[in-house]
Amino acid sequence: MEFKERTIKIIIDESKCVDCKTHACAAGCKLYDRGILVIKDGKPALGGDAEYAQRVGTECLACEYECWFRGNKAIKIEAPIPGLEEYLRKRGLSLA
Amino acid sequence: MARLYEYQGKQLLKAAKVPIPQGEVATTPQEVARIAEKIGKPVAIKAQIWAGGRGKAGGIKFANNPGEAETVAKDLLGSVIKNLMVEKVLVEEKLEIDKEYYVGIIIDASREVRAPIVMFSTEGGVDIESVPSDKISQVPIDVIRGLRLFDALNLAVPLKVPTKFLPSVAQAILGLFQTFKGFNCRTAEINPLVITKDGKILAGDCRMAIDDSSVFRHPELGIEVAREAPTPPTELDKVAWQIEEGDLRGTCYIAQMVPEIVGLNYVGYHGIGGGGAILGVDALNRQGLKIANYADTSGNPTAAKVYRAAKVIINQPGIEGYMLGGFIVANQEQWHHAHGVVKALREELPKRPGFPCVILLCGNKEKESMEILKEGTADLPGRIEIYGSDKVYETEFLAKRMKALILEYRKERGIKEE
Repeated sequence: MEFKERTIKIIIDESKCVDCKTHACAAGCKLYDRGILVIKDGKPALGGDAEYAQRVGTECLACEYECWFRGNKAIKIEAPIPGLEEYLRKRGLSLA
Repeated sequence: MARLYEYQGKQLLKAAKVPIPQGEVATTPQEVARIAEKIGKPVAIKAQIWAGGRGKAGGIKFANNPGEAETVAKDLLGSVIKNLMVEKVLVEEKLEIDKEYYVGIIIDASREVRAPIVMFSTEGGVDIESVPSDKISQVPIDVIRGLRLFDALNLAVPLKVPTKFLPSVAQAILGLFQTFKGFNCRTAEINPLVITKDGKILAGDCRMAIDDSSVFRHPELGIEVAREAPTPPTELDKVAWQIEEGDLRGTCYIAQMVPEIVGLNYVGYHGIGGGGAILGVDALNRQGLKIANYADTSGNPTAAKVYRAAKVIINQPGIEGYMLGGFIVANQEQWHHAHGVVKALREELPKRPGFPCVILLCGNKEKESMEILKEGTADLPGRIEIYGSDKVYETEFLAKRMKALILEYRKERGIKEE
């Protein structure tokens, strides 16, 4: 599943959540953010609709972090920086 | 305040019915010659840079014909005046100046005034700060009521402006105020307001700065970065500006110090809190290190903003280290900085194993932030040192650590300083 906050996209590979025991993402969201991520049927889910995530989310990056270290590494957050790849490409470099 | 160039300000004045000299902006010597031919008179060729004192610094030249103008422009375009590259010149009719006046508007933010102040002086062509106060008249303006014609006349009459010039001078003052208000300026001045030998009144030169918070209302001005700076924004400044533009959740200020790094000893600098962060810069300088950029993420920015700032800073080609200079025991919950920096380092350090990072993060939620930083970077292939508030005053220590790690990194890569 995926959802967007104001400037970031949170992508969750739910196949990795199947046997997660910690649900660290939701715990992290409650501690560092406003608890927009909850657990439903054993998997992370938004506690509201897409507009809710955009309005209430604080882009804390905690769910990705907590899932790295206490979950199954199922979460990837994309926070694009327009123009940076082009800037590096002109100098023979890359973000990748 | 976002600055405008002289040629831009003059176009705004022209729209406000303030007479300006005939002229156009040019970027090549051939264009300069074409404009000079169109004007058909001796011309002034004026470097368009954000600096005063251009004349004395060689930034204003004269030419009697298009051929001379082209030759002059060949030397002027591409030259560096007051550390600024001359990329454009304004080619204008050369004025036969008889007298120079001054008109300027600033915001007086003192409690007693809190209003724009319109100033007029018969001593133009010099810094207004050097003009005796008995040669300056000024009036605060009620922004609701506005500036009226008689207000403008009341500025000029006490300074004995000749009667025949009063209507034109008053019109120039009104036009400047109209521009100031219409474009949300913080400062605007015409200096000099020229009286020519044949009795014309024109804006000889002008300076304007737009309030940063109003730039979005004026896309027609083409201001790329709504922020005061001594130099035009670099390519990376523009990339970094997009992180901040339209997002007021905390600050993400990044300014490159050099557009392209040449040589060694450059550090990517990520300050927290502008004032304290400068102390870190001074300490780095004392170790022979230079900052490739200055940055400040404070005012409780989101972790995503901090992440983006760290990514931009670390990706500057040629830096030899990264310092998070949190020389402040901050009120903001520092775990957002910790999450942002960790995400950036986890993406960047695998691409540059051994890269030096000195991190100082102090303040609210410091204990948890330290845990996040240490856990988050423990498996990364970098030279990473993490410090908290017990080192917040230790600028010299931290700068020495940055230098030591850089020297190790250099040795590992077989790089020698010449």
